[in-house]
Amino acid sequence: MKTNILGVYDDEHDILHAVDKLQDGGIPVKDVFSPFPMHHVWEKLNLTTRLPYATFIYGVVGGIMTFALLYWTSVVSYPLKFGGKPLNTLSFIIIMFVITILIGTIFTAATFFIRQKLWPGKESKLPDGRSADDKFVLVVEKTEGMPEEEVTKIKDLLTETGAVEVNESNVDYED
Amino acid sequence: MYNTRVRGVLIKGNKSLKDVTQDVLRPMDAPMPRWWYVTAFLAISAMIWGVWGFYNTISTGIGTWGLNNNVAWGWAIINFVWWIGIGHAGTAFSIFLLILRQKWRTSINRAAEAMTIFAVMAAGLFPLIHMGRIWDGFFIFPYWNTRGPLWDNFNSPLFWDVVAISTYLTASFLFWYLGMIPDFATIRETTASKIKKKIYGVMSFGWLGNARSWLRFETAALLLGGLAAPLVVSVHSIVSMDFAVSVIPGWHTTIFPPYFVIGAIFSGFGMVLTLMIVLRKLYKFNDYVTDGHLEAIARILTFISLIMGSAYLIELFTAWYSGNEYELFTFLKNRVTGEYTFAYWSMLTCNAIIPQLFWFKKIRKNITMVFIISLFINIGMWFERYVIVVTSLSRDFLPATWATYEPTITEVAVFAGTIGLFVMGVISFFRWIPTIAISEVKSVLKETTTLKSFTDED
Repeated sequence: MKTNILGVYDDEHDILHAVDKLQDGGIPVKDVFSPFPMHHVWEKLNLTTRLPYATFIYGVVGGIMTFALLYWTSVVSYPLKFGGKPLNTLSFIIIMFVITILIGTIFTAATFFIRQKLWPGKESKLPDGRSADDKFVLVVEKTEGMPEEEVTKIKDLLTETGAVEVNESNVDYED
Repeated sequence: MYNTRVRGVLIKGNKSLKDVTQDVLRPMDAPMPRWWYVTAFLAISAMIWGVWGFYNTISTGIGTWGLNNNVAWGWAIINFVWWIGIGHAGTAFSIFLLILRQKWRTSINRAAEAMTIFAVMAAGLFPLIHMGRIWDGFFIFPYWNTRGPLWDNFNSPLFWDVVAISTYLTASFLFWYLGMIPDFATIRETTASKIKKKIYGVMSFGWLGNARSWLRFETAALLLGGLAAPLVVSVHSIVSMDFAVSVIPGWHTTIFPPYFVIGAIFSGFGMVLTLMIVLRKLYKFNDYVTDGHLEAIARILTFISLIMGSAYLIELFTAWYSGNEYELFTFLKNRVTGEYTFAYWSMLTCNAIIPQLFWFKKIRKNITMVFIISLFINIGMWFERYVIVVTSLSRDFLPATWATYEPTITEVAVFAGTIGLFVMGVISFFRWIPTIAISEVKSVLKETTTLKSFTDED
């Protein structure tokens, strides 16, 4: 069973300094739970996302496919003149523009939900439920066979940096 | 690097994070207030009347409307454009201001987006029933068929319209829902009620709120916002092309796309102002939607009102400068002094003149006055669409085909029904969904209440 050491903080600044302190001391910070996005945490935990690249690809592919559909239906499959306008017209750009956005939006949202493994009704347990309300929770993994002094050292460090509570939790959440 | 400087205090009352959660969620736990039942009763009555209008239209036909050969578009299109215009506020608010990193949006964007969704839904009903044979509505999809296969006319503004509005509704809804997921998780974690925990648990999609999920969440929100931002400009431009692509005098002008987009943002902001004043009064959200917020919207409205005024003047000038007798007749004679002169002058007064009262600080600070002016803007924008649609169609090229237009009771019923739908949607939102984006307000709380940001110490 995985165990995590949790440091519960009241203040966003305290937890940021705590992350610094722990990392300086060579203790890997596993995660930070917070009620709102904290950009500094991502930088410190070296987290990145490739979602924008995915969106770009969806847009490009979506745009090309939309043009292919318009071209094929209007020029190849059933060429029908409307008001003497050319079959392959510049005004295709309007549908292409809008459908590119539509495809980009739907697929970006879908990618987010799939990558983040979120679905309606998914049961998830937070190590500390208060992190959805007003607390900031710092998670350090307590590895198998971690010496007792090490655990005490981490806990002391958490308290030192302003944690209002230091707990251990068995909740195994999926990142 | 993302800590943009904020001017002044956004959230008053020295709130803690817990206060924010409790303040926003309190109305959802309170017993059902009486105003809710009264409003719901009125809204549902209007919806029932609207359903009668729908039934009448579909079972008997478009003949139940006051349309005729000349005035082939009436209240349906007017109300459709009006609702779509109102529906522009959500995107204009949250997405533009998100991309511009304007933090004052945080307490308003959720309500503005909700308004967008319901307004666009109300708008969508009009083209749907205007088809007449609603059961053939699927013809609009380009699917493999036995008629050729015959495809859509992809160069028709009416088709663009359908595509643009469905896209707008989808994108707005996804953006709105995505933003609500962390707030649903907050309800899941804080509520004492088991039923609520279950329902909001399902709706929260198992949101965790750890570092990685926030990173992806914010990136996804920015991407969806960035994708939807061009829609603010494109949707109403496309709506305007329904008119501008035709050759009717008064419609066939190049000013239409920007003029419609500005008008849409104008009416959308007007409706946001109306709703936020009501919401703030009902839920005592004065600390979140401060006088400063309302004033900021009022200032934007003053500016847009000036643009509207200049657009009206430019229309008149262009008609005169073109020397085209039909244009001259439509703009300088028919609209200004013709049969529908009341609508024209109402439009001009409500949109270009009355909002100029916001120049006075006393009026900007007087919430009752602000509320009344916001209502005038909504009415004025309705008259604008009325003027565009009816005056041009009723007096076109040949006097022999001139006709007048009066709405019938069926059209009134349909319009009332959509208002009922909108109101019902909005009050359901007020009741069951956090009306203020909790996590977003929390993220700006510190730097805006104590005016001290993290970067100062770092």
